[in-house]
Amino acid sequence: MPNNSNVSRRRFLKSSGVLTGASLLKIGTPALIAITEAACSAKQEAAAFANLNVAAAADLAAIAARIMPTTDTPGATEAGVIYFIDRALGAEMQGMLEGLQAGLEDLNSRVTNQHTGSGRFAELEDGSQDELLTAIESGGFFNSLWMLTISGFFAMSSYGGNNENVAWDLIDFDGNHGAWEYPFGYYDAEYAKEKSIG
Amino acid sequence: MTFEQRTPVDFAIIGSGSAGGIIAKELSTAGFNVVVFEQGKYRKAEDFTHDEYSVLMHSELLGGGPQFSGQTFRHDESEVAKSPVVQPIRYAQTVGGSSVHFSANFWRLRPVDFKERSLLGPISGTNFADWPITYEELEPYYTKVDWEIGISGEPGPFDAPRSKPFPMPPLPLKSCGVLFEKGARAIGLNPQNQPHAILSEPFNGRAGCMKCGYCMFYGCEAGAKSSTLASMIPLAEASGHCEIRAESAVFRIETDSNGRASEVLYYDRDGNEQAQKAKAVIVSANGAETSRLMLLSASEQHPDGLANSSGFVGRNLMFNAHSSANAVFEHQLNEYKGVQASRVLHDFYETDEKRGFYGGGGIDARSLWSASPIFHALLGMPPDVPRWGKQFKDEFAHNFTRQMTLACATTSLAMDRNNITLDPKNTDQWGRPAIRATYRDHDDDLSMAKFLQDRAMEILDAAGAQKAWADPIHPTDGGEHLLGTCRMGDDPTASVVDRYHRSHDVPNLYICDGSSMVTSGRGQPTMTIMALAFRAAEHIAAAASAGEI
Repeated sequence: MPNNSNVSRRRFLKSSGVLTGASLLKIGTPALIAITEAACSAKQEAAAFANLNVAAAADLAAIAARIMPTTDTPGATEAGVIYFIDRALGAEMQGMLEGLQAGLEDLNSRVTNQHTGSGRFAELEDGSQDELLTAIESGGFFNSLWMLTISGFFAMSSYGGNNENVAWDLIDFDGNHGAWEYPFGYYDAEYAKEKSIG
Repeated sequence: MTFEQRTPVDFAIIGSGSAGGIIAKELSTAGFNVVVFEQGKYRKAEDFTHDEYSVLMHSELLGGGPQFSGQTFRHDESEVAKSPVVQPIRYAQTVGGSSVHFSANFWRLRPVDFKERSLLGPISGTNFADWPITYEELEPYYTKVDWEIGISGEPGPFDAPRSKPFPMPPLPLKSCGVLFEKGARAIGLNPQNQPHAILSEPFNGRAGCMKCGYCMFYGCEAGAKSSTLASMIPLAEASGHCEIRAESAVFRIETDSNGRASEVLYYDRDGNEQAQKAKAVIVSANGAETSRLMLLSASEQHPDGLANSSGFVGRNLMFNAHSSANAVFEHQLNEYKGVQASRVLHDFYETDEKRGFYGGGGIDARSLWSASPIFHALLGMPPDVPRWGKQFKDEFAHNFTRQMTLACATTSLAMDRNNITLDPKNTDQWGRPAIRATYRDHDDDLSMAKFLQDRAMEILDAAGAQKAWADPIHPTDGGEHLLGTCRMGDDPTASVVDRYHRSHDVPNLYICDGSSMVTSGRGQPTMTIMALAFRAAEHIAAAASAGEI
């Protein structure tokens, strides 16, 4: 059996074009706005996001990136979860948009109260972001984002996230596969071996 | 085949699922003209996907989620029923009904299930009763299900007697089954192959299972799952006597001045009211929908609902209680491949007075959460792992292919307090009053669920799990098995239909689905619903031919 995290790490290194060590893989949060902007303008010249303004998108992307962080393996950022969220909020999750905007406002007022000089959530360091999120993790806003992040990370890439199936690679899962052959895993393979020897 | 609405057809069948699909096939191939009403779409094998986001998160096959279904739930009468985020009553709205999206674990009932009340005596506060029929009477129809629907398996040590072998060998043993086998044997238990309504090899012109892993909640794109969509409805349509009228939501059965069912009223796909005249009506809409329709069809002659002079319509709802235990193992199991369940054990099927409570059940080894990633991430992670952040991500990446679940299913006791009624306020997408479920498991059912879960934890430990945990047991807030709400019986004051599924009150109205069941069995009711449907169809056809309907 291959070690799944090594496999996905290699694939991630290859697909992201990052050549040096793990420290460069870690995308700094202050750079998130720039990254989402750049990615969007590359993707669609006219409008960055369909349903979110750039600042809100950066905050939501930052939250998603704390839920599924980028480590030596891809996280929400590489999966493009924010594109999933932006699309969903104009479609099947439309009903959530208002609540999320209100939740973001509340979050950013916490940012200005607790971190003088900082503007928005997306600009904070990871540790400060985690602290703020921990404080609201039992509330509806965080739970909506949590559900959207998990969905966007693992849903078929046609929904906007799970870019190049990075999420599936991470967990050693191939959701596009049709038929499978027996044996499926280690224990049934061992069982079959013993049976044929016995 | 399209039938004219103003000319009475021989039978209007409401529901195309496990019972409706079979009855439609049996009656149409016998030459009767039937119209089958299905509120869901007519999806075929090629319409089914592996789209977890749509199927699981957006209830694609359940009708689109609670905002459309309008179902409400409460634990007891003192509460105002609410429409929760997750649909409380989970059945598929699609041609073939829930036989399309179920996991296809296929257990027969046993002789004891039909006469347990006589063997054990009454249980106070419940409507615990014997069935009006025996296992021996139903056995030929179980065999018909085996051979006409298509079942894979092999006999186990405690199985009820069978008149013919399984038509197909069992599906391949999965890793969860190997580990279950090891753990259960180590503590002296007797696991066996899980029988499935899934073809392990080509059968009756249908393809065998390709082991894609998308059984539970999904439709089978290969047609290997033995839904009525795959097995019965093609035969019904080929007879030239059956019309499947999909996207047609029945809201009333009209009765004439003689108190006989005369017409079925329904909303078409555009929401317009339509009517179909029929000589007789068969309701196979499931234990929740059937009850609602009976209650909605109240009239001057039937003031408390159609066929409800006993007051038993909607009562005695039984979900089967459930519990589960999960474990992580050292190596990869890859439970996302192949069918859900692999091995099952029935050592605890019968009530044992030494346990101190009524009930029995089974434990099976399955993927459950680990069949697909969103489901696993939302519901399947160990309780001591944070829900987000690096540790969550790392452990999830590690666990997804290394986790399995032992699922325990038990008896439910029939009680007045557990029922289906019409919601006084909420409606569904067609404007029908919402189905209101009121349900609190009997203490014995929860005790049985706990007993099995404790055994499951012992099995996982004996199997060498690196880590195991039990999901908390609490009174359920919904269910998939919709049983008992129009029970069969010989006494018209304590049952809704007779032993042949004819309603006691309305001679040309039959009801056959999970609602007919008097007791709940031990957890996998569909095979029994299908056997009852074959048996009912035989009697209905005979009565119709003799001019007795």
